[in-house]
Amino acid sequence: MTFALTISPSDLLLLLPEILLTFWLCLILIIDFSFPRLRNEQLAYFSIAGLVATLGCLVWFDVADITGALFGNMFVLDGMALFFKIFIVGSTILVVLASIDFIHRFKFFRGEFYFLVVMSALGMMFMASANDLLSVFVALEFSTLGLYVLVSYLRDDMASNEAGVKFFILGIFAAALLAYGISLVYGETGKLVFSDMTSAQATPGLAIGFLLIFAALGFKIGAVPFHSWIPDTYHGSPTPVTAFLSIAPKGAAFAILLRMFFVSLATFKPVWILLLVATSVLSMTYGNIVAIAQKNMKRLLAYSGIAQIGNVLIGLATGTKMGSDAMLFYLLTYLFANLGAFAVVIAVSEAIGSDEIDDYSGLGRRSPFLAFSMLIFLLSLAGVPPLAGFIGKLYIFVAAVKEGLYLLITVGLINVVISMYYYLIVVKKMYVTEPHDRSPLKVSGSMKAVVYVCLAGTLAIGIYPQPVTDWVVSAVMMFSHLADPTASLPVPPAVVPFGG
Amino acid sequence: MVPLSAYVAVSAVLFIIGLLGVMIRRNFIIVLMSVEIMLNAANINLVAFSYYLESMAGQLVALFIIAIAAGEAAIGLAIIIVVFRGKISTNVDEMNLLKW
Repeated sequence: MTFALTISPSDLLLLLPEILLTFWLCLILIIDFSFPRLRNEQLAYFSIAGLVATLGCLVWFDVADITGALFGNMFVLDGMALFFKIFIVGSTILVVLASIDFIHRFKFFRGEFYFLVVMSALGMMFMASANDLLSVFVALEFSTLGLYVLVSYLRDDMASNEAGVKFFILGIFAAALLAYGISLVYGETGKLVFSDMTSAQATPGLAIGFLLIFAALGFKIGAVPFHSWIPDTYHGSPTPVTAFLSIAPKGAAFAILLRMFFVSLATFKPVWILLLVATSVLSMTYGNIVAIAQKNMKRLLAYSGIAQIGNVLIGLATGTKMGSDAMLFYLLTYLFANLGAFAVVIAVSEAIGSDEIDDYSGLGRRSPFLAFSMLIFLLSLAGVPPLAGFIGKLYIFVAAVKEGLYLLITVGLINVVISMYYYLIVVKKMYVTEPHDRSPLKVSGSMKAVVYVCLAGTLAIGIYPQPVTDWVVSAVMMFSHLADPTASLPVPPAVVPFGG
Repeated sequence: MVPLSAYVAVSAVLFIIGLLGVMIRRNFIIVLMSVEIMLNAANINLVAFSYYLESMAGQLVALFIIAIAAGEAAIGLAIIIVVFRGKISTNVDEMNLLKW
């Protein structure tokens, strides 16, 4: 057997965003050690410039509809890959911007922080395009290796080290499960590319293999039986890294899950739907109930994140085109609300040096801007109209109704009520409880920029969702054959359940 | 000639040894070694399947897994050295600062 590897310039064009970011990564490192007197924020803005250029390139691809597959289908660039790449690069830009204030807490290697963040983002971009079990494994490890270091970046802080150890042990454990799962799937089918496995026979080996792969990706997204690392890691890591960890890798892992369940395993839907329903119900319920008892803002957001992932899994469990539209839409609303909430946590902890919910008392008087933004983000996470989170939840539930998944909808609605309770506890602390200290908080310009962008996203998607729904519907056109039988055909115009 | 089932059995046994090691042992270094055993179980499977299916892809995957396992070990040891400086211990149970 021989391998013929020919790459033409038009193939390289498909890789342009990744190539651009790789060059930029090298530049960040070179500039960091060539100019030791360079200030941190200059390096941060330099990294952001590269990420913005990459984002521009991705948006150009999306608008001009440049798609294709490379390296024998191992790397695909389709609407969904472009959506997730824009998602990842966008969240990375906001995280880098939010980390500018935080960076003075690192005693050493401040420049390398940006290098590692951008490198992880590059790995996740490859995850969004991975269409083959080998590229899934390599890209997943590529992005996670950088994250292990980032989580334990506060070298003298025992909590950060501990978070690093816990994240590392569960991360490599998940990698081992993934590798063994890949070996079993390969043995049963002889194939590695997702789209070649559609005709696979149901055998015990294949079932165990895919279960192990699902478990490994479950660790990545933090769905309930695999969530144990989430609270401790989120609590201990530097807050910008927590924000990064709570969004970008989840989006990338969902891209792989979508390809796996909707392409390779589409014929086994009656089997995997039970698995996904169980994971989704457990994640929503466990995350929301444990969140009630939290005293620390980062831990509260960690548990609420587990519950939000349960909501996204409802979309995956429907197994329809509309379910995948709703997932993408929901992830986008989650990006703005969750990143915004973490940005407020960073700003508050810069000003008062604490993440405890008790210390948020009186925030409404000390910093009306931060308190109001936090209110908006928490209400969007809870799903209150007219914010983005409401439309996201509605979209997911409508997709589930069409498939008749009433159990999921009931559990989901009960959980909306539970989540409202603990989000409102925080709101009550901010607006009703008397502050211990009345001095106003100072917020830096870069933090304000992040919070404003997230506020704008949350409000704009909530009030006028039409452009975003159009975008997600066209992004997952590849699943249009999975339209649910009850929907009136043709699908695309009928998928928007609400007027814009 | 050794049948394919023998290879799969050996690899399953190795995988379970590694799995139990991760779950039972409390020393970070031994946990790391157990995970390496699990990765090597996957490698045995991949190479055996690759030979019987007469396709090269499995061996390629095995090579990548070996390379990535080395990278993981490097990062894991770096993290545990940082922890060891503060705690003089590599026992995972003693890392109990973060709890709800």
